[in-house]
Amino acid sequence: MTELLRARDLTKTFRSNTALNALNLSVNAKEIVCLLGANGAGKTTTINLFLGFLEPTSGTAMVDGIVVTDDPKTVRGKLGYVPEQVSLYPSLSGLENLDYFVRLGGRGRGDEKYLRGLLDQVGLSQLDADQRVRAYSKGMRQKVGLAIALAKGARALLLDEPLSGLDPSAANEFCRLLRRLADDGAAVLMATHDLFRAREIADRIGIMKSGILVEELSPESLDQTALEQIYLQHMHDDERLSVEAH
Amino acid sequence: MIGAIVHKELTEIRRDGRALGLLLIVALLLLLGLVTGLATENAREREVLQARADDAAVFAEQGEKNPHSAAHFSRMAHKPVVPLASFDPGVSSYLGQVIWLEAHYRNPAMYRAAEDAPELSRLENFSIAGVLTLVLPLLVLLLGYGSIASERERGTLRQLVGGGASPMGLLLGKFLVVAGVAFAVLAATLGLATGFSLATLPGTGYSGGDLLLRSFSLLAVYGLYIVCLTAVTLLVSTLVAEAKTALLLLLGFWVVTVVGLPRLSASIAEQVYPSPDSGAFWSDARASLEANRPPGGSEDYVAVEREVIERALGGEVREDELDGLALNRGAVRLEVSEVLGAEAYNAAFAELFENYDKQKNLRQWLSLLSPTIALQHLSRTYSGTDVAAHEHFSLEAEHQRNNIVRAMNEDMMLNGAGQSFGYLAPPEFWETVPEFDYRPPPVAATWSEGARDLLILLLWGLAALGACAVGIRYRRAPG
Repeated sequence: MTELLRARDLTKTFRSNTALNALNLSVNAKEIVCLLGANGAGKTTTINLFLGFLEPTSGTAMVDGIVVTDDPKTVRGKLGYVPEQVSLYPSLSGLENLDYFVRLGGRGRGDEKYLRGLLDQVGLSQLDADQRVRAYSKGMRQKVGLAIALAKGARALLLDEPLSGLDPSAANEFCRLLRRLADDGAAVLMATHDLFRAREIADRIGIMKSGILVEELSPESLDQTALEQIYLQHMHDDERLSVEAH
Repeated sequence: MIGAIVHKELTEIRRDGRALGLLLIVALLLLLGLVTGLATENAREREVLQARADDAAVFAEQGEKNPHSAAHFSRMAHKPVVPLASFDPGVSSYLGQVIWLEAHYRNPAMYRAAEDAPELSRLENFSIAGVLTLVLPLLVLLLGYGSIASERERGTLRQLVGGGASPMGLLLGKFLVVAGVAFAVLAATLGLATGFSLATLPGTGYSGGDLLLRSFSLLAVYGLYIVCLTAVTLLVSTLVAEAKTALLLLLGFWVVTVVGLPRLSASIAEQVYPSPDSGAFWSDARASLEANRPPGGSEDYVAVEREVIERALGGEVREDELDGLALNRGAVRLEVSEVLGAEAYNAAFAELFENYDKQKNLRQWLSLLSPTIALQHLSRTYSGTDVAAHEHFSLEAEHQRNNIVRAMNEDMMLNGAGQSFGYLAPPEFWETVPEFDYRPPPVAATWSEGARDLLILLLWGLAALGACAVGIRYRRAPG
C-alpha cells in the first residue's frame, strides 16, 4: 500500500488553544478516510496543515513522502482540495471556472473536450457547464470543485465538509464519485459531520474531539447504529463526566 | 498563468456592468477635458494670431515719429499657444500671456486667464491632466481594491493557492490588468490630445517631433504614476481581510495624497517662500535701481556711456573723442539709463523666479508624501506650461525689448544729432525693427528640469512595488 498522506505527532496550537494534539494518521492510495467530529474538533486544522496553509507547532505532515513545510508548492501540486463552500467566479461559466483553476494550477490551458469530460464525469450537464456560476446551486458548485481537483490528476484528495448543504441525491452521487476515484488509486481524506455517508464510503473512520483523534474504526465491522453510539459516546463524555462528578 | 489571469480579469470586467459604467464615466470626463482644453487653446491661438498681426500693423504704420516715443509705445510679445496646454494648462493661466516691451521697464506678463475669466479658471480643473490626476487614481483603486481582498473573502484565494497557484504570480496578473486598463485609458487620451493638437494648433512654434517626444514623456510619467497607484492598491488589498476595508483605506489614501496634499503643499510653499505682491515687487525694483545707479559723470556711468556709444557706432571710440562726436546726447542718456535699468530689473526678475524655484523645491520634498505632487510638476514641465517655460519666454521677450529700445535709441542717437527730442524717424524705419520670433525650448532641454521629480516618482514606484511583493509574502495564509 502506498502511503500518500501521513501525520506524525502533528500538533497545532493557537496561543493557549491546542487545535490539534499529536495526531498520528495515514491515508493510503485507494483508501477513503473520514474524520468525524464536532466543530472545533481539529478536522479543518488537519486539512490546513496538509495544505501548508498553517505551520505545525510540532510534528510533521507529509504528502507522498514530502514534508509539507519543506516544499509546500510541490505538495500542493500533488493535492486536490475541495472546501466546504466551493468558491467560484460568478460571472464565469462552470467550464470557464474550471479552465481558470486548471491553468492557474500550472497545468497549461485545458483542452475543452477534456474539461467538458471532467464536468460530465462529476455529473454536470453540458448545458449547466456553459451557464454562469451565479445561477448554480451549492451541489453544482461542489461538482465543479471536485472537477477542479480531478483535473489536477491529484493523487491525494482533501475534502473539507464537501457534503454539507447537498441534497441527498447530490450527496449520494458525490460519494459514488469519490469511491470511484479511490478505486482508481486516489487517497481521500474527508472531514465530515455526516455519519451515514462516512460509514457508507469510508475505509476507515477517525473520530476527533478537542484536537485529539480519540478513535479509529473500520466501518465494515459496524452498523450505522453502533457507529452513532460510539460517536455520541465520545461527544458526550464531558457531559457524562461532569454529571458523575456531581 | 499570467495570461490566464489577464484573460479572466478582462472577461469579468467586460461582463461586469459596474466596471464598464465606471470606464464610461471616466471616458466622458476625459472627453469633456479634451474638448474644453482644445476649445480654449484654439480660441487663444486665434486671439494671439490676430493680436500679433494688429500689433505689427499699428507699429509699422506709425508714420514719422520720435523713436523714443515709439519705444514707449513699442511692441507686445505674445506668448505662443502651447499645444499641450490643451492637455495640461499648468500655470499659464496665472502668469500671463502678453508682455509689453516698453522702454525703461521690464514688465511682467499681462492678461492672466485666471484674472480675466474667473469662470474659465474654475473650469481649469477640467483639463485632461486635472481629470487624469484626480480620476486615474480612482479608476485604479476601484478596479483593484478587491483584487486580492475579494478573492480572500470569497474563498477563491484559498482554493487557488491550495490548487498550486503562486500568490506572486496571481499578484502580478492582477497588477497587469489594473495597470493595463488604466494605461490604455491614458494612452488613448494622450493620443487623442496630441493628435488634435497637431491638427488644430499648427502655428505654435513647436515641431511635430518635439510634440511627439513631449507626449511620450507624459505617457512615461503618467504610466509610472499608474504603477505607483496600482502597487499601493494591491498592497492594501493584499494586507486587509475584507474588500470594503481595502476600499475605505484606499479612498482615504486618495483623499490625502491626491486631493489634499497637492493643494496643501502649494499653500505651505507659499507660506514659507511668499511670492511678492505687485506693489512690493516694483518698489523694491525701483529702490534697487536708484541705489545702484551710478551718478552722472562718475567713472562707472562714463564706462557705460562709452559702451553704449561704441555699440551704436559699431567700433571703438577713444576717450578724448567722446565729447566731439556728433550724437544726440539725449538719446545717449536714454540708452545708458536703459542699460542700467535692464540690469536692475533682470536682477529683480531673477530673484522672483528664484523664489518660484524655492517653492517648487519645497513642494518636491512634500512629494515624498504624495506622488501626485511630483506628477503635477512633471506634467507641466513636459507639457511646456510650467514656471520654467514662462521664465524662458519672459527672458526672450526681455531680449527683444532690449533690441527694440536700443534700435530706437540708436536711430535717434545717430540721426538726430542736435535735435534733442524734435527728431522724427522716417515712416519706413519701423519696418527695420525685427519681429519677435519666439521659439520655445525643446523638450530635451526640460528633461533636466524634471529630473528630481522623476526620481521621486521612481522611488515611489519602487517602494510601492517592493512593499507589494513583501506584503504578499507576509500574508502567506490565504484565508
